[in-house]
Amino acid sequence: MPLLNALDPHRWLADHGDYLFRVARRQLHSDALAEDAVQETLLAALSAQARYAGDASPRTWLTGILKHKIVDAIRRQLREVEIPRDADGEEAVDALFKQDGHWAEPLRPWGNPQAEAELGQLRRILDECADRLKPVMAQVFSLREVAGMETEEICKELNITPTNCWVLLHRARLFMRQCLEVNGFAKAGAA
Amino acid sequence: MKWMTTCKETTELVSRAMDEGLSLGDRVAMKMHLAICTNCRRFTRQLHAMRRLFRLETRANDDAPGLAPEARQRIATELQNRLDS
Repeated sequence: MPLLNALDPHRWLADHGDYLFRVARRQLHSDALAEDAVQETLLAALSAQARYAGDASPRTWLTGILKHKIVDAIRRQLREVEIPRDADGEEAVDALFKQDGHWAEPLRPWGNPQAEAELGQLRRILDECADRLKPVMAQVFSLREVAGMETEEICKELNITPTNCWVLLHRARLFMRQCLEVNGFAKAGAA
Repeated sequence: MKWMTTCKETTELVSRAMDEGLSLGDRVAMKMHLAICTNCRRFTRQLHAMRRLFRLETRANDDAPGLAPEARQRIATELQNRLDS
């Protein structure tokens, strides 16, 4: 019979499972990987709970463990995938520009939405576009732009060269910008 | 040495500047290009807008779907197994 206190692992799942899943899902871009990360986090927390001093809230403590599990999951993916000088990535970038290096199409201005309803809509588009990137690209991009990790730290953690890391990030930004523009960020008039 | 960077090269500089400091030469080249190119200025603004929106979004952890019931059950079972062992 599990103890009914803040350190009860079943309470962790009930109280923080959805939150942890959303954080993981947003950075791993895969339901299955995110579910695994939540499970690994809770199991690790169980083993480590003697060391939990209780000075952070359980959610903060669990989120800290989750961050490591997310990086581990991305590292495992990277081992399986050849990065990133893939030909179609290169081609997709080239397609955005003319031969002489100018933009192939003029960029359309974006609005500057403040209303919460509008922001919610944009967040959904943002998530959908990120999900459409190639998995590794999406994950490295999310560590930088969603989790706010420093690029240097990302390269080191994932053991990829700064050049590869940076190529992934730059391409992700180009593709994301394009996807956002096509899917509703562009507005007549503003920004 | 070319006297002016292209849009394609400028987007690389703009992107890199979001991750690390640029050398003085690169910074000057980027600024010169941005001074005359509406598209690349727009590109720069949009990358920063995208970053702001992403960071805002993580804080707002909102209405995205949570754990699927089957996954929740599976994890609960794993936890119980570990507790029992």
